[in-house]
Amino acid sequence: MTRSLRDCWVSFGQFAATFGSFQMFSLRLLPYLPKAFLRPRLITDQIYSLGALSLVLIMFGGFFVGTVLALQSYSTLVEFGQVDALGAFASEALVRELGPVVAALLFAGRAGSAVASEVGLMRATNQLAAMELMAVDPMQRVIVPRFIAGVISVPLLAAIFCTMGVLGAYLVGVHLLGVDVGAFWSHIQDRVDLVDDVGSGLFKSFVFGISASLMGVYEGYNAAPNASGVSRAATRTVVITSVWILLFDFVLTGMTMPGV
Amino acid sequence: MSSESRAIDIGVGLFILLGLGSVIFLTTQTLGSTALSESTSYTLHAHFDHIGDLKVRAPVALAGVTIGRVSRISVDPINYQASVELRIDKTFNQFPIDTFASIATTGLLGGKYIELGPGGDEEVLQDQDEIEFTQSAILLENLIGKFMVNGKGDKDE
Amino acid sequence: MLSHKKPPNIVEIQNVSYRRGKRAIFDGLNMNIPRGAVCAVMGPSGTGKTTLLNLITGQLLPNDGAVLFDGRAVCPCSRHGLYDMRRQIGVLFQDGALLTDLNVYENVAFPLREHTRLSELLIRQIVLMRLHSVGLRAAWQRMPSELSGGMARRVGLARALVMDPKLIIYDEPFTGLDPIAVGVILRLIRHTNDVLGITSIVVTHDVAEAEMLADLIFLISEGKVVASGSPAEMQQKDSAMVQQFMQGLADGPVPFHYPGASYADQLQTMSRP
Repeated sequence: MTRSLRDCWVSFGQFAATFGSFQMFSLRLLPYLPKAFLRPRLITDQIYSLGALSLVLIMFGGFFVGTVLALQSYSTLVEFGQVDALGAFASEALVRELGPVVAALLFAGRAGSAVASEVGLMRATNQLAAMELMAVDPMQRVIVPRFIAGVISVPLLAAIFCTMGVLGAYLVGVHLLGVDVGAFWSHIQDRVDLVDDVGSGLFKSFVFGISASLMGVYEGYNAAPNASGVSRAATRTVVITSVWILLFDFVLTGMTMPGV
Repeated sequence: MSSESRAIDIGVGLFILLGLGSVIFLTTQTLGSTALSESTSYTLHAHFDHIGDLKVRAPVALAGVTIGRVSRISVDPINYQASVELRIDKTFNQFPIDTFASIATTGLLGGKYIELGPGGDEEVLQDQDEIEFTQSAILLENLIGKFMVNGKGDKDE
Repeated sequence: MLSHKKPPNIVEIQNVSYRRGKRAIFDGLNMNIPRGAVCAVMGPSGTGKTTLLNLITGQLLPNDGAVLFDGRAVCPCSRHGLYDMRRQIGVLFQDGALLTDLNVYENVAFPLREHTRLSELLIRQIVLMRLHSVGLRAAWQRMPSELSGGMARRVGLARALVMDPKLIIYDEPFTGLDPIAVGVILRLIRHTNDVLGITSIVVTHDVAEAEMLADLIFLISEGKVVASGSPAEMQQKDSAMVQQFMQGLADGPVPFHYPGASYADQLQTMSRP
């Protein structure tokens, strides 16, 4: 009994220590940010491997989330004779919630884990130490470009996810379920608000982008320099980022919800 | 080496274009646009006492078949009526001037649309003409209210 | 400008103590690396040879004592000064530590691109010259994953040399190589040291290679230099520790058995439920 309590206390201590070191890492990152833009080449290379290479997954995911959303909401809306609102229903859900959240989760799984294992492998094979000894700061050369690229990529990926989702809902709703084209789009225009919905969605995905990218580089940079350390870093990135995204989503939804 | 970095440039460029394009799509989608182009449609106007929850881009139907869209809704400041602008396919440009426009509902609780009932006059409506005969939306709340009042009265007798 | 006489020792380690936790890794370590020599630093595993390397390059700060490089104290207090010093030191890691996303050419060009604004033409000349000197000019397009262990180390050497360092540190350069590759690395270390007039520190536990290569051997054990001298002198020392290490004996001052309770005691205690 006392032993399990003590274990609890120890793991809480570890959690606090990890959290503290994560905060320190974030603070250490800040002064590097402006200088990183002096070498845009490093950032674009990372936007390519983190953002552009995630495109297929994001578009696929967005499209099918949109189609499923249309099918599901149809079965509910048809009971109330409100099938015209299907487009509004689907796109509001996409733009406010599913787009930012699912895109960020997919990004964490595809790109966040890749960053963690890549940087972790650089740690394990002494590449970071070698840079350090060549008088090249790995924070500036390796970590910051990846972080910035992630922060730029996630909102763009979320927007693409939403667009594909709306197109998916359109195809299913209008062409499969026979919702009126005009009603579909007019309800979207009527319901979806530029600031409250699109704006808050983009803001959310910006925050998620920061958390996913930060987690990836942090876990990679602090990975234990061996094979199991690298795989642990990748796993922890996905798990912790997912928890964070869902938690932040609740907080941000509460903050941006009109009238709450 | 250079061909590889070129491929990266193209990839990044396409990705950012696609992303910004999506942002623009999501933005404009919330701001609205006209469905029927100027060249294939003509405009009619109609005033209603009450339009219910009729929306811009709602269908305009003839005998249940969609032939046009509501393109604009505003309030007439002079007589406090709702002023509705309809864009109708040019194929259907033979509506008599005594055509009747009513706001109907799809299903019991469904969305509103405008149903046109052609009249019998020789003269036809031209572009920018006003439909004189209109019927406002039937408000379910009012109907229920009337029914309840009447129902009570019936019992009292 | 003051006429500044260069100190005879490029690296001076003065009475350095370093503790990790409660365990003392170095305790009053003294070591002078003379300019122009190839020095082998040897010792049983776990004596902190890599820690020594980190102390010289300023990645770790000694708890006590001082490390001087070229007459100046190595101090991680100013990042700028530290990086200035590191540009004069080349380090070759055990596996080369090549950057996996860059090819051989770009790996060697990496320090030049990071630290200088040389024209592409000049960079190409320097890189090809360095690659030629390690015999891998023709392999410039290969990726690190396509290189053998020995080749990766040679590329690492070319990269360590590209900024014209005063000192090169080799971390276990012979482990895991076939005899031909070992011969190549041996020749390269001696050759670059003499041709470029630099100083080399070779951290290793391969006795035969160290004897063939080094001008000076330092044997470290339990936080101190237990013996130093030329290979011939080392063979003559009659200290048990030196003899055990140089002859490769299984038992001696470094015991064969991990220290602990006696066999009989352990059998008894472990058979109890």
